[in-house]
Amino acid sequence: MYWLRLLRARLRGLLRRRSVEREMEEELRFHLRMRAQENVRGGMAPDEAERAALRSFGQWPRIKEACRDVKGGGGVETLLQDMRFGARTLAKNPGFTLVVTLTLALGIGANTAIFSFVNAVLLRSVPVAEPERLVYVFGGTRTSPYSVSSYPDYLDYRARNDVFSDLIAYSPITLSLNSGEQVDTVTGLIVTGNYFDVLGVRPRVGRAFLPEEDTTPGGHPVAVVSHGLWQSRFGADPGVVGRKLLLNGQQFTVVGVAPADFNGADTGRTSDIYVPMAMQALVRPPRGGYSGEMNPDLLSKRGPRWLDIVGRLKPGVTEEQAQAAMSTLAAQLSQSYPDTNREQTATVSPLAKGDPEQRGRLVSVAGLLLAVVGLVLLIACANVANLLLARAASRRKEISIRLALGASRGRLVRQLLTESLLLSLLGGALGLLLGVWLVKTMRTYSAPANFFPVAFDFSLDGNVLGFTLLLSVLTGLLFGIAPALQASKPDLVVALKDETALVPGASGRGGRRFTLRDLLVVAQVALSLVLLISAGLFLRSLRKAQGIDPGFDPSRVVTMPLNINLLRYTKTQGQDFYRQVLERVTALPGVQSATLTRTPPLSGASRQSTVVIAGREAPESGSNTENSGGAGGESVPSNITLASSVGQDYFETLNIPLLRGRDFNAQDREGAPGVAIVNETFARRYFPGEDPIGMRVSLAGAQGPWLEVVGLARDGKYVTLGEVPAPFLYQPLAQRHESGMVLMLRTSGDPSGLVPAVRREVHSIEPNLPLTNARLMEELLSTSLYPARMGAVLIGVFGLLALVLASVGLYGVMSYSVSRRTREIGIRMALGARGGDVLRLVLRQSMTLVAFGVALGLGAAFAATRLLAGFLYGVSPTDPAAFIGIAALLSIVSLAASLVPARRAATVDPLVAFRYE
Amino acid sequence: MPKRDAKLLAGTLDMLILKALSLGPLHGFGVGQRIMQMSADALRVEEGSLYPALYRIEQQGWITSEWGVSDNNQRAKFYSLTRAGRRQLQVEEENWVRLAEAVFKVMQTN
Repeated sequence: MYWLRLLRARLRGLLRRRSVEREMEEELRFHLRMRAQENVRGGMAPDEAERAALRSFGQWPRIKEACRDVKGGGGVETLLQDMRFGARTLAKNPGFTLVVTLTLALGIGANTAIFSFVNAVLLRSVPVAEPERLVYVFGGTRTSPYSVSSYPDYLDYRARNDVFSDLIAYSPITLSLNSGEQVDTVTGLIVTGNYFDVLGVRPRVGRAFLPEEDTTPGGHPVAVVSHGLWQSRFGADPGVVGRKLLLNGQQFTVVGVAPADFNGADTGRTSDIYVPMAMQALVRPPRGGYSGEMNPDLLSKRGPRWLDIVGRLKPGVTEEQAQAAMSTLAAQLSQSYPDTNREQTATVSPLAKGDPEQRGRLVSVAGLLLAVVGLVLLIACANVANLLLARAASRRKEISIRLALGASRGRLVRQLLTESLLLSLLGGALGLLLGVWLVKTMRTYSAPANFFPVAFDFSLDGNVLGFTLLLSVLTGLLFGIAPALQASKPDLVVALKDETALVPGASGRGGRRFTLRDLLVVAQVALSLVLLISAGLFLRSLRKAQGIDPGFDPSRVVTMPLNINLLRYTKTQGQDFYRQVLERVTALPGVQSATLTRTPPLSGASRQSTVVIAGREAPESGSNTENSGGAGGESVPSNITLASSVGQDYFETLNIPLLRGRDFNAQDREGAPGVAIVNETFARRYFPGEDPIGMRVSLAGAQGPWLEVVGLARDGKYVTLGEVPAPFLYQPLAQRHESGMVLMLRTSGDPSGLVPAVRREVHSIEPNLPLTNARLMEELLSTSLYPARMGAVLIGVFGLLALVLASVGLYGVMSYSVSRRTREIGIRMALGARGGDVLRLVLRQSMTLVAFGVALGLGAAFAATRLLAGFLYGVSPTDPAAFIGIAALLSIVSLAASLVPARRAATVDPLVAFRYE
Repeated sequence: MPKRDAKLLAGTLDMLILKALSLGPLHGFGVGQRIMQMSADALRVEEGSLYPALYRIEQQGWITSEWGVSDNNQRAKFYSLTRAGRRQLQVEEENWVRLAEAVFKVMQTN
């Protein structure tokens, strides 16, 4: 009841502010008249009486203020009033407002940009129905639990569980898409027929798959296309349903278009075309090595694992229950099928968490970046707080008068905080724009084309907006609270008499203590030192990485993938095609030599094979695993070697020296005795102290076929630049045919100018081959350096930003201090101090602050940079060169920043100084 | 003005205002006058305290105000006690008497 009345009164106060104000005015005026009359009755002259009344009413403004506080709309009303007042104050000091807004915009913008990244990669959920009920069911082993499953396993999971309402399975696949006019490579997804239904995704146009379309192998060549592909390739034609496409040479009919925001169940992976599982044998390219033969039917085999599985939990079933049920099921399967399923596990994990291993890496990168931009923002806050403190000192008189007029301290603090919030919101708005721009810039030119194999949606959403708003408010409070408290300290008398007395720290008396402003500068120096040292470490790491010898000469080498496995060539056709390509390309003017390889060095892909040495114990039956996705860095298990089939002239084209033995030649053809060339690490590991030439090895188990080592090649880098030396074995392509080869050529002139000619030659042999990914070898090399370079650039830029902010802060504090001490300096000079003495005096003051900051910063950096160890190559996280060098750099910049105010102090004219006060 | 006194005054002043109004509606100036009369010129209420107090009490719902005409034919805002205000006055009077007795006892102790 009481509250209701209060609310009504306040609301009335707010709505009828004008009239309430007028009533108040009128009431007080009436009082004044009454008082005057009273005075007249007491025997005063009328005008005298009026003056006396006014005198007794001298506190009129204060009374009105007090009444307004009680009466007015309370919170809202004062807030509006404060905001108006704040806006006026800020508009009156455009320079100050601009500097603060820009400083904050830089800090907040950096945070917005990094948060957009975090949001896109870690927080966004895919647009499916009830995503919280969807979980991955990873196949795998105890040591590597987050892997893939086989189709029969999927069928068993589906038939024999009581925790999922349904399960889907899918697998990505590269497809050549021929829609009539042009041929492209697109990303496809082979999906079970219930894929869209279980995810709860309704096609935008047409329909999803019908249950019967996923029953007969090869029976229903139908496809759902993504919204993006529908727009780019079909001009958003609403009549697209029924259109025919050629996917890997097979005719398919479009039945539907996926919704615009849907790119598949996995965050970060996009698919352009969906085809039913039953069609997999037709679209799936034949496995490397046995081109053209029909793919072994993956759907009936439990051994090959290639599927991601996602399940929808039944209502009320928890993740733990699902995990328990799936573990039991996996154990049963490993008993029933010991050959294929021994030690196989099933691991349940929320869909929203993505691939837990990849997520772990992303979380650590995100954490690092957020920490870095967080530091930048802290430094910006310290700067702004410092500026506000300086301004508060100059607003001292205004504030004192307001205090004298009866404004309470709380009221003043609120007013000052409102101003801070206005500033931070302004900064936040600008920062948001800056952040969006940063994200756009970073995306368009930073990442090499295929560095992120995945696509993320970086667009602005509620999360990012909310984050920026929250950050702005917190920032405003953070930098505003201390200055507001200090400025509103009610020591009026002193303030009104003499401002200078209020800055004890700057007056240089004995036993001088740090002022709040000094502490802020110390903190800034320390924080920016931490950032700069991190940047320095990244820079040194990049230098180290750039100095790595890749073991081959990347200059003027072009690579061009020839994905004939999209064309369903037979082995003979394939061999023929490769021979023709090499013949024609080598004949081109400007081409020095040309060759083929399954995996170009540093492309991030490798083939790993189990090595068996003739005459020694065979460990296990041979196996091959294709690994695309950079298993680099980790050392290869002792019986595993990296391997690749290469064409003739491989070593010549890449300038890899052969240390012993011979190169492959035309005699090493199919049917001739098998040969191999190994690298130094291979030789050291398997033939220590022996001559590798003439040794016999097998990559296919103890039964052979055996390969004779005929040459020894120099070590190089194969998967990533940072990897430890790995064993490598080369086989002639003629003896181990593979279908997805990459053409590599060394040119005598500009390599990129030759690409169109090469493309023409290849197309004259096979017009249907998509040739989109021609890359310079040097690009591949720089791709390999990308993480190191990106780290150095990002953290370096933020570190420089921090350095600039800290220098500005130091400059500000010193200038202010010098201007406060003008009189003192004047006296000193009048007493005989020379310019040099004053210069030293001021510099000593500022360098004391810097020294404290550097000491603190070095300690903090020592503790913090350990966290960087995982990101650095060849540099210790406590690298003395980086620590000492950066500390010196920071000190020099600080010295420069305080030199200007110090020189100003040194040229003070004593006469002017005395008049100044 | 030292804050402590102001605070002590606030509660007492509210009570005095309620008491003054318990005899009939008055405008702000009148409230001050009546308190002065009732205290035989011992208590002068400063305008700076009076009006904020009036507004505060009105906000509490213990008094209401309406515009009327004063004895000398001028527009003035008149305050009058509400039912809740009457109750409040009673409560405050009792508290005050208890407090005054207690203080008196303390002061009587030798």
